[in-house]
Amino acid sequence: MKKKLALVFIGLFLVSLAGCRSQAPAPPGNPPQKIKVLLDWVPNTNHAGLYIARDQGYYAEEGLEVEIVQPPEGGAAQLIASEQADFAVSYQEEVTMARAQNLPLLAIAAVIQHNSSGFASPQSKNIQTPLDFQGKTYGGWGSPSETAMLKALMKKYGGDVNRINIVNIGTADFFTSVQRDIDFSWIFYGWTGIEAEQKGLKLNFIPLDKEDPAFDFYTPVIIANEKTAASSPQMVERFMKATSRGYLFAVNHPDAAANIMVKAVPELNAGLVNASLRYLAPRFQADAARWGEMKQSTWDAYTAFLVENGLLAQTIDSEKAFTNRFLPAP
Amino acid sequence: MRNWSNTANIWPAAGLLLFLGIWEAGVRLFALPGWLLPSPSAVFSSLLNNFSLIAAHSAYTLLEAGIGYTVSVVLAIFLALIFALSPLIKKILYPLLILSQTIPLIVLAVLFTIWFGWGLLPKILVVVLVCFFPIALSLMNAISNVDLDLISLFKSMGAGPLAIFRMVELPLAMPGLFSGLRIAATYSIMAAVIGEWMGAQHGLGYYMILQQKSFAIDRVLAAVLVICLLSLLMVKLVDMLEYLCIPWNREQVRADYQA
Repeated sequence: MKKKLALVFIGLFLVSLAGCRSQAPAPPGNPPQKIKVLLDWVPNTNHAGLYIARDQGYYAEEGLEVEIVQPPEGGAAQLIASEQADFAVSYQEEVTMARAQNLPLLAIAAVIQHNSSGFASPQSKNIQTPLDFQGKTYGGWGSPSETAMLKALMKKYGGDVNRINIVNIGTADFFTSVQRDIDFSWIFYGWTGIEAEQKGLKLNFIPLDKEDPAFDFYTPVIIANEKTAASSPQMVERFMKATSRGYLFAVNHPDAAANIMVKAVPELNAGLVNASLRYLAPRFQADAARWGEMKQSTWDAYTAFLVENGLLAQTIDSEKAFTNRFLPAP
Repeated sequence: MRNWSNTANIWPAAGLLLFLGIWEAGVRLFALPGWLLPSPSAVFSSLLNNFSLIAAHSAYTLLEAGIGYTVSVVLAIFLALIFALSPLIKKILYPLLILSQTIPLIVLAVLFTIWFGWGLLPKILVVVLVCFFPIALSLMNAISNVDLDLISLFKSMGAGPLAIFRMVELPLAMPGLFSGLRIAATYSIMAAVIGEWMGAQHGLGYYMILQQKSFAIDRVLAAVLVICLLSLLMVKLVDMLEYLCIPWNREQVRADYQA
């Protein structure tokens, strides 16, 4: 009797194992697959597509249950590399530098087609061109890509990067920082720039994509671990299909998207989210054939720039750094 | 007796070497990538390769910790004096003192940065906040444990409260004070590093953040190693200071170490 009972239990155990993570799309009745997405910073409109896809049920339709999580102080890149999360929001610069250190990161979509970031300062600081950075204080977050960019700009304009006072201000707010001895910072115009407009603070903004074609890189991007991409391609496809729908919703209905964002993250200022999404809506996809698509030349240009300036530990194969294969067909 | 004290030094070193050996073997055996967990040999070599840079940053951290610690000691002794002279003030301030320790340190470090900027001041304040309490508390406890008969004796000879504090309470409270000083010393370096995480231009905490964002975990661990060594150094300095300040305790202390 005992032997039979044991066999029954073993059989049940084996059957339950078979129910674990499968590749096929979840038929109704199967519990959705749990996915963790790490943000790069505090929730903002760069993440609109993720929140929309979650709250409008696009992820659920693909059989995914997505948890959107703040990154710890350590940053998302290393957590993706050590497989502590499935996807994260990152930047082309971070992916490039990480891959040079052998972190297996893979960019799978570009959130905004062209670089909307740049160096901003209150007009009172009188910073009109990068040459004016000299003798001023830069407030950054301690990433090597910042020093790389400042060095490159100084080289281009014939200035000396050592004359810039570089301070790590971590996640301190731009508006508080500039009142406290920080002169300029690197911001996303679509978020901090719009916020300045709303606050009535006049900024001098130096957009990076206008400085050099190599600086029109993809930021932010959505990344995954190479292993995830190789072992669960269908899950990644389903995630990207829903995420893509989310961003396209924001492109076509920015006001409705703003409402969803504010409901998802009530701490956000509704006026700012509205204005920001109206700014970003034409820029998410811009001139690309589909949202998220990336070009080899953009990746190569930035990598080449880093290598030329001796700013990369070892050169990387840009082809392996990104892929469009998980994006839904145009 | 002599043989024991010699071999007693081997065991901690042996334990440490064993731990390092297991760590090194583990990293090599499992081929762990450098950005995940570097081996001890990688950590040591990156410490040597970046020695002058790490030393320069360490100087800043030591400065912040040193100034903060000194301010804490002065403040603690001053406060203990005030409390000894005025029990009313003690009743008012003591609960506030306890309250100051319940506020989360990270939050205060952020607020200090917002209020005072990115120079040395906010880091020094964080060190004071962390170190002041153990020093003040141990001093006040030691003073309250002073033999009342001795105080009565001095009072009967006409000593005022200030004289009693100077001649009886403070000297007799020194051993207790020094135990508080030792505790605060172990925390001083770490407090300075936490202050630096919130925003800085120099220091080991600043260096650690930069290296972590560059995925150079071997350098992060090298900085951690330096932090441990510096904290031990601070404690050793307190021990030496105790030897100088409490001459009447030296025999006892020597006997304790030999036991």
